[in-house]
Amino acid sequence: MVIRTGTGGIDVRASIWGLVAVMITLVGVYFGSGSLRWFDAALAGYLIGVLLAVWATVYRYLVWIQRPPTAVLNRRGWESFRSKGKVGRNVGGLVGLVFTNILAQGFIRRRSVARWAAHQLVFWGCILAAAVTFPLTFGWLHFESVGQSGDQYKAYLFGIGTVAFPAESLIGFVMFHTLNIAAFLVIGGVLVFLYRRLRDPGALAVERATDFLPLVGLFAVSITGLFLTASSLWLEGRYYSFLTDLHALTVILGLLYIPFGKLFHIFQRPANLGVHYYRRAGAEGEQQLCRVCEQPWASKMQVDDLKFVLPQVGFDYSDGSGGNWQDTCPRCRRTSIALAQTNRVGGFG
Amino acid sequence: MAKLPVTEEELIEKYGPHLNVAPPGGWNAGLDIDREVKTHCCFCGQQCGIKLKVKDEQVVGFEPWYEFPFNQGKLCPKGVKRYLQGAHPDRLLDPLERDPSAEGGFKVTTWDSALDRVVAEIRRIQAEYGNDSFAILSGVSITNEKSYLMGKFARLGVQTANLDYNGRLCMVSAGVANKKALGMDRAPNPWSDIPLADVVFVAGSNVAECSPITTSYIWRARDRGAKLIVADPRVTPLARTADVFLGLKPGTDSALMGTILHVLIENDWLDHDFINAHTVDFDSAAEAVRTYTPEWGSQVCGVPKERIIEAARLWGTSATGMLLHARGIEHHTKGVENVLSCINLGLATGKYGKPGCGVSTITGQGNGQGGREQGHKCDQLPGNRDIANPEHREYIASVWGCDESEIPGKGMSAQEIMDAINDGEIKGLLSICFNPVVSLPDSNHTAEALSRLEFYTAIDFFMSESAQFCDVVLPGTLQEEDEGTTTSVEGRAIKINQAIAPPGNARKDWEIIIDIAERLGRGKYFQFDDTEDIFNEMRVASRGGTADYYGMTWDRIEDEFGIFWPCPEEGHPGTPRLYEGGRFAHSDGKARFHGVAYRDPAEVIDDEYPIWLTTGRVVSQYLSGTQTRRIGPLVEQYPEPLCEMHPRLAAQLGVESGDIVNVSSRRGSMSLPARVVESIRPDTVFIPYHWPGAQAANQLTNRALDPLSKIPEYKVSAVRVEKGDGHRKIYDRRVTTLQEKGQSL
Amino acid sequence: MNPLVQGKMFVIDQSRCIGCEACVQACEECGTHRGQSLIHLEFVDRGVSTQTAPMVCMHCEDPTCANVCPADAIKQNEDGVVQSALKPRCIGCSNCVNACPFGVPKYFALPDQMMKCDMCYDRTSVGLAPMCASVCPSQALWYGTPMDYNETRRGELIHEYRFGNQVVPTKVATVVDDRTFGPIDVMGEPGRDRWQDDPFGLEEMT
Repeated sequence: MVIRTGTGGIDVRASIWGLVAVMITLVGVYFGSGSLRWFDAALAGYLIGVLLAVWATVYRYLVWIQRPPTAVLNRRGWESFRSKGKVGRNVGGLVGLVFTNILAQGFIRRRSVARWAAHQLVFWGCILAAAVTFPLTFGWLHFESVGQSGDQYKAYLFGIGTVAFPAESLIGFVMFHTLNIAAFLVIGGVLVFLYRRLRDPGALAVERATDFLPLVGLFAVSITGLFLTASSLWLEGRYYSFLTDLHALTVILGLLYIPFGKLFHIFQRPANLGVHYYRRAGAEGEQQLCRVCEQPWASKMQVDDLKFVLPQVGFDYSDGSGGNWQDTCPRCRRTSIALAQTNRVGGFG
Repeated sequence: MAKLPVTEEELIEKYGPHLNVAPPGGWNAGLDIDREVKTHCCFCGQQCGIKLKVKDEQVVGFEPWYEFPFNQGKLCPKGVKRYLQGAHPDRLLDPLERDPSAEGGFKVTTWDSALDRVVAEIRRIQAEYGNDSFAILSGVSITNEKSYLMGKFARLGVQTANLDYNGRLCMVSAGVANKKALGMDRAPNPWSDIPLADVVFVAGSNVAECSPITTSYIWRARDRGAKLIVADPRVTPLARTADVFLGLKPGTDSALMGTILHVLIENDWLDHDFINAHTVDFDSAAEAVRTYTPEWGSQVCGVPKERIIEAARLWGTSATGMLLHARGIEHHTKGVENVLSCINLGLATGKYGKPGCGVSTITGQGNGQGGREQGHKCDQLPGNRDIANPEHREYIASVWGCDESEIPGKGMSAQEIMDAINDGEIKGLLSICFNPVVSLPDSNHTAEALSRLEFYTAIDFFMSESAQFCDVVLPGTLQEEDEGTTTSVEGRAIKINQAIAPPGNARKDWEIIIDIAERLGRGKYFQFDDTEDIFNEMRVASRGGTADYYGMTWDRIEDEFGIFWPCPEEGHPGTPRLYEGGRFAHSDGKARFHGVAYRDPAEVIDDEYPIWLTTGRVVSQYLSGTQTRRIGPLVEQYPEPLCEMHPRLAAQLGVESGDIVNVSSRRGSMSLPARVVESIRPDTVFIPYHWPGAQAANQLTNRALDPLSKIPEYKVSAVRVEKGDGHRKIYDRRVTTLQEKGQSL
Repeated sequence: MNPLVQGKMFVIDQSRCIGCEACVQACEECGTHRGQSLIHLEFVDRGVSTQTAPMVCMHCEDPTCANVCPADAIKQNEDGVVQSALKPRCIGCSNCVNACPFGVPKYFALPDQMMKCDMCYDRTSVGLAPMCASVCPSQALWYGTPMDYNETRRGELIHEYRFGNQVVPTKVATVVDDRTFGPIDVMGEPGRDRWQDDPFGLEEMT
């Protein structure tokens, strides 16, 4: 598959911003962990993985958002969001949009309920896991046993004591098994995805290794995490250290994969919110008339944006006398092409 | 007695047409299937090869069958979506008995009670009014085996002379003309001859919509440099690409062909050797067109004379040529004459019996060719034998093991049967594969006639508009639920394979027929264990007839991708091209020219009804629509009849596209949206005929029959067109609906 | 295996289309987008003629759609086939729909996604013809090897269109009588006089 980055070489600005993000993370770790007092050195490997992922994600994000069409959409999205007299409405609508499009993901459900269910399982599994592991790794969250018997635990967030609970209680069970629950959610979702992909010849044909990789990765992270639990619960800790390393390896590789692979859509997808505002502003604004049928067919703003972007990416659809092919509606594009082709074919008529 | 049991709305509510829009389980159900069954499309005489996908004993999709030589995977939209007629909510699953108090007007009954009632009514009516007062109407969308069985069942089971079939509404005029001129009723060529032609002349055939796969053959000829001539009152999609377009007035076909013959003679674009060696009566044909000058033809047909001369030049000076015609010249009171005038052009230029040469009808119905050979026409016995010929009768009696005198004589033709029902002469009717309320002309008359029957029973898979008039409805089989053979447009017998079993309590058609015969006490003539048994008797019955299937076996038919009849003995390769070397099927081996003098259609326009009406099909619907009006994606493609008219006429009427117009003839009237298009003659309107009731074009058409073939004149009526009330947005077919879909990916 | 390896190509010849919509019906039977027809087919102007315009994705060498996609969602395979939008990435902005010079991508509101013709990748990747070209009765949509084409079809193949100043090279070929006249100039191709302008000879007859 051809990856179009749009630019060649290293983007210095983006790498600097990546470093800034890494510094901010480190500062956060330092202060959030009480000057590393609660930082668990055993998790240092994870921290390094996170830092690399942060740098690469910020870098990739900035490179992406500078691409001409993305830059225009980014600017237009915010402009539309902030447009005079609409801010109130737009802010109000944001909650709903975030819920339906980012959290509930109704657009996937409309493709297929099974696909949606799988995606929801993976999504919430990952959110849950991240909500626990990132604070743990950063030393923002730690547990201490309280009382004499040692069967009471207290969770500390940024060094501030929160709830105390008995290890054997339900809350204790949930606390300690959050990652296992997350792993089951993710594995469930991954299996549904795999089942669908392997059963559907259409999906199989367009599938690539790059599509299976994230599923394999998520599965590996989840299953090695579960092995750890299994080892401590049922195997008296046999293979524990090997499994720890294995799990750490899968997680770190997974973190490093995020900015480069399919999972980068986690950061791209929110642009869909901008599209909603862009689209609404477009619908409310002036409409582009087709140069052939003279009917409105799209937002003039968007067509103008495209006419601005296209030369930047190497296309010139103007005809040199003030006309532009891009002013033609898609239907008239198709029919004009058919007529032009028919004119090049004799033999009848 | 047989009026509709409940209102039309209640019938539709219960029995449809409802739309099947997606395969069983939905689009997301995945594509893993249990098996693929190689068979053929059920819609139209092209009989394209297709593989049906079966999952959980339901047909869930299709796959192109690239290896089948006729269509090599190609299909029209009907073929693509044919699988959606299965697993259909409207499918009849139980025998039904008319009961106005039941929901939808029919109550479920058992096979025993249904068949007992059918048999009792046949006996009662025949006892009271005579054997011939019970009629049988059959169809040619059924297999050869069933066609054969229906003929035998009528003659020996029910013992009535009045059996006919809906091929009578199809190409029967071409059949009669072929027999008269050439001695045999079959397309003279395999379709592989079309690409070898240097000129292809399409007369009265909307190939692109009614036999779409033939388009590819015509284009293959054109890819070799062939010229295309199209004669049609409309610029059909294929006509748009023609080299010469002859946009003639409806009903003037024989004038056009006569004029072309005149020009051929005038310029001596004739094959004298062929005429002398292989034909007789050229002089009478020449004499008939002596005065048919281009000026005269141009005036009668409404076509510029230069185009007629150019068409004649192309036809007369090309070494090879195929003339393809269909209902456009055959659905006339002059149907036989029109076809004879085409055959004259073929004979005069020697275009018979060699590669790339022939004059052929494009049969319309699924088994339009095979169904017209196996003896369920009123005047015919199996093997395309003549029911009035003593030798033929004797032979068939020997095959059937009956006395010759037991075989009734010639009966009435389809339209005549309906007229006799209306006149009270026929009191009882059994029909299969026939929806006369929609398909016969003058549909108000047909409905009136059916209401006068004392007893009517139909074998059908859906509650067709005609079945609604029934006393007993017997659920039969869809094409994919039984096996057998059909014979395609080319005269190629092919094998239909069973994909699934009939659902519910539906039974195979032939089992129902045999069951009735047994209950009538005539079981001894119907000792068949399976469909292949019927085939084997049929091929013996056809032996020595013109349509000779004797040498065929089911295995060979499958292995060889079909066999062309005549195939008179085992091991015979079949006969793809007829009349090789100019040997025609008449006893003297010579073809006959016929003098064809032009005459007017049965009805001509006048001050009261000043517009010509012609009717026809659209690509997404098949015949009376019993099946295709129940397939959602096909209905979306062309949801309702539209009245095509030229902008000049529309301007006179003050009508714009989408405006409702009232169209009326001497028989009836209807209201429908206008589609204003420059692709039709300004003096003519066109309405497709696939719909029932108030949307039926056949409310307007004329029952006048061709004297020889008894085909009705669907293609010419005089009508009045007026602006009506209302307006409907006409979409460019599916484009809009597709864009709006998008729910399920 | 891919189409390039087998040496098969897609050819579209709109001039011979009969508008039967077999392609539209068959398109939604394809495994990669079941239930969703992605091919385009419409009357050029039904009021004037029966001419219809089918359009599949031409699979541009340098696809405009991919270049204007803000989400990097449109990818081209090694064999030049431009895929439908990657579902996780597509943000439904319609830039591709509006910019594609051939009017090919379709935006579907409910899943909030673009989808487009992908040359039936499930079929072509295993050597089968795409659904539309399999069924097309007039073979306006054609799939096969260049040798098959030269043996059975007339007309020359051309892989270039011109829209104003922009020349767009495509993987899918189209048919012209004489390719030496250059790319099909969609904005500037002169019309011809044909009998279709007055199909019934009304000028001559009156």
